[in-house]
Amino acid sequence: MKSAVAIGGATAFSACLGREEVDVPTGPDDLSSHPERQHAWNDVLPTDDHGNVVAPRHRVLLYLNYRHRGQRTEEDRAMTETALEGVEHAYQRSGNGLLMTMSYSRAYFDRLDGALPQSVDLPRPEALAPFEDPELDTPDAVVHLASNHAQVVLGTEEALKGNQSVLNGVDQPDASLTDVFEVVDRRTGFIGDGLPTENADDAEGVPADKVPEDAPLFMGFKSGFEKNQASEDRITIQSGPFASGTTQHISKLQLNLNQWYNQDDRWQREAKMFCPYHAENDVIEGTGDNLGDSSKIDDCGPTTETAREMGVVGHAQKSAAVRENDQPLILRRDFDSTDGGQAGLHFLALQREIGDFVKTREAMNGTDVAEQSAVGQRNNNGILQYIRTESRGNYLVPPRSLRALPPVNPSSDRQEVGDASS
Amino acid sequence: MHRRNALRMIGGTSLVGLAGCTGLFETRSARAPPLPENRPDAVYYPTHYEGMKMPGMKEQSGYKCALTYSYAHRFWLMKPNGITKVDIQPDDSVHLMPIVWDAETGIIPPDINPQVEITRGGESVDQFAPWPMLSQPMGFHFGDNAQLQGDGTYTVDVSIGGPSTRRTGSLAENQGNATFSFDFEFSESALNEISYTDIPEDKEGTKGAVELMDMQMLPSSQVPTPEALSGDVRVTATSGDAKFVVTVLDDASRFGGDSNQRYLAVSPRTPHNRTMLPMMSLSGELRRNGASVFDGILQATIDPELQYHYGAVVSDVQSGDEFTITVESPPQTARHEGYETAFVNMPELQLSL
Repeated sequence: MKSAVAIGGATAFSACLGREEVDVPTGPDDLSSHPERQHAWNDVLPTDDHGNVVAPRHRVLLYLNYRHRGQRTEEDRAMTETALEGVEHAYQRSGNGLLMTMSYSRAYFDRLDGALPQSVDLPRPEALAPFEDPELDTPDAVVHLASNHAQVVLGTEEALKGNQSVLNGVDQPDASLTDVFEVVDRRTGFIGDGLPTENADDAEGVPADKVPEDAPLFMGFKSGFEKNQASEDRITIQSGPFASGTTQHISKLQLNLNQWYNQDDRWQREAKMFCPYHAENDVIEGTGDNLGDSSKIDDCGPTTETAREMGVVGHAQKSAAVRENDQPLILRRDFDSTDGGQAGLHFLALQREIGDFVKTREAMNGTDVAEQSAVGQRNNNGILQYIRTESRGNYLVPPRSLRALPPVNPSSDRQEVGDASS
Repeated sequence: MHRRNALRMIGGTSLVGLAGCTGLFETRSARAPPLPENRPDAVYYPTHYEGMKMPGMKEQSGYKCALTYSYAHRFWLMKPNGITKVDIQPDDSVHLMPIVWDAETGIIPPDINPQVEITRGGESVDQFAPWPMLSQPMGFHFGDNAQLQGDGTYTVDVSIGGPSTRRTGSLAENQGNATFSFDFEFSESALNEISYTDIPEDKEGTKGAVELMDMQMLPSSQVPTPEALSGDVRVTATSGDAKFVVTVLDDASRFGGDSNQRYLAVSPRTPHNRTMLPMMSLSGELRRNGASVFDGILQATIDPELQYHYGAVVSDVQSGDEFTITVESPPQTARHEGYETAFVNMPELQLSL
């Protein structure tokens, strides 16, 4: 049976309510304790035995277009904020409750008069490898909903669409997000131990018997190790009117799991996902939980060396090159998907500047090693062989006080925002 | 439900629907007969070889692309410490090979990894980046076993991006991105018309190779004979059963040097068929009177004259210079039967120029 989150809608929501016997705590009446950083999720998420943040298991991305053709209106801004606050009253801000961000694309800001401040790096999306030709996503806004409970993301979605007068026992406002925005795309997914095998039947070409039962992601390995993630401080915009915000890149990747599981062997999967050193020395047990709080890339050696001498470089190994003060530049909040009946990955990454993402992605291309060694454009070049980029989009996640239809440069009309949110 | 499972359950006319049926099982076994015993660490005659069909050819952005296919094949993937055998899976219907070449020179660039997407009636059927591969009858090509859903018309889109290996001359200008779209009328009966030639038991597993297929309209992945190779051909040697031809060009200007410098080029190829051997890490040291005058990598390059080769700019090459070629990584291309034991262990070559 297709997963409820992938289907969506009122029926899926009520089916979930019946199936998941959980009491989701409600949110507060007074939302003033909600942090200004919309992306400050780590404090309210559990950690595993190694101190790695455990990502919320169920996800929905709603791609939205602003219905109003001209400049944003105060009425629309107020309705958007009211709708978002409605679901925050209904669910506690936590992994077992609801985590949410509202973000805006460059296309949205381009329609407004004026220019984004210098302190925000939000280019229009583009292809990031010579061998990819992605669709460029240009909705006005994207809402990211995350929870450990499917019913929470589904219920939130229904409420934001104005279909729930009561959510989790809490009355919902008359204003809905869909009064202001049209939903132009809906992307869904999951991440967490066991979910890929549970969802395997929803997608073509998933060798269900080969994906490890406890794997958190289709490709069979754990990711998001504490030491391989940027901190929330590192990704936060530090100055200017959008300080406390961040930028978000979302790409939709299609996975080829047939080659990965039915043609490659375990050695190759370990070498290509991590590095040849790990494969050669049996560093990884199972899905890699034994690695602790890092993918141990320091042991991998430089990519140029393994590319020349072993003819292969690992995905994690390539990423090691992109660090600042020994910290990665991006915070991954990605998740797997069966959208469109395809095994895929919504690669959602947060970083202070989109440029930080571009740098990281360029390192993944392995262009230098492909030119100077036996490593090919895709062949033996990390996991590029198994991934096809279908779409890319860039967004600004503004601070919470500016999350409802932000102006393009709030410094010029900060007073208005201050008044509106007080 | 999984669409493929659905097909299997209603037992349609697809190849998949018949999986497990005795007749097919025998056919398939016959197409993957037991490997010869005592395969040499060299190119050897496989158990059999197969023909192929070409549903179409397209041209765009300075490239041509032919879609070709044959029976699903077993093959091997390379690892630093050996090879991994890839068996034919029950769902595999064909071995799909998109052949892409530079329209002007006819050179097949092994650095452009095509992406294949197969759809039927707008529904996705299969998608993959085929492996770079070496086959005796097909030469160098990109290919993989594809999983179709029985007889019918499929759309096969082959997309290519920019190059990743250094290019010279007119090839350097061809940076094109392109998508070639084919209508692929597939039927099992048409597949079964493809020739299948058994090699006698006393010949299979012995050193030698099946000849390259005569592929009219398609370019070849062969590199020039030593006689036809540009420059002053100095020496030919063998490592891991691969032939290495070393030549010296008087003018290094199109390879990043200047006209007073020399270009030292190494052109490796398969024995018997002269198929190019791309995706190696090669380095070289040139010594004169006991002293090193060059020590560095030999960079993979695609040149309209030398074609795919490895080379370095040096100040001079003199008679009696000692040249050592080190194979740090053998060709990382996947291998079809008869090539999987060759070009794996490749000792260094010490040559006198």
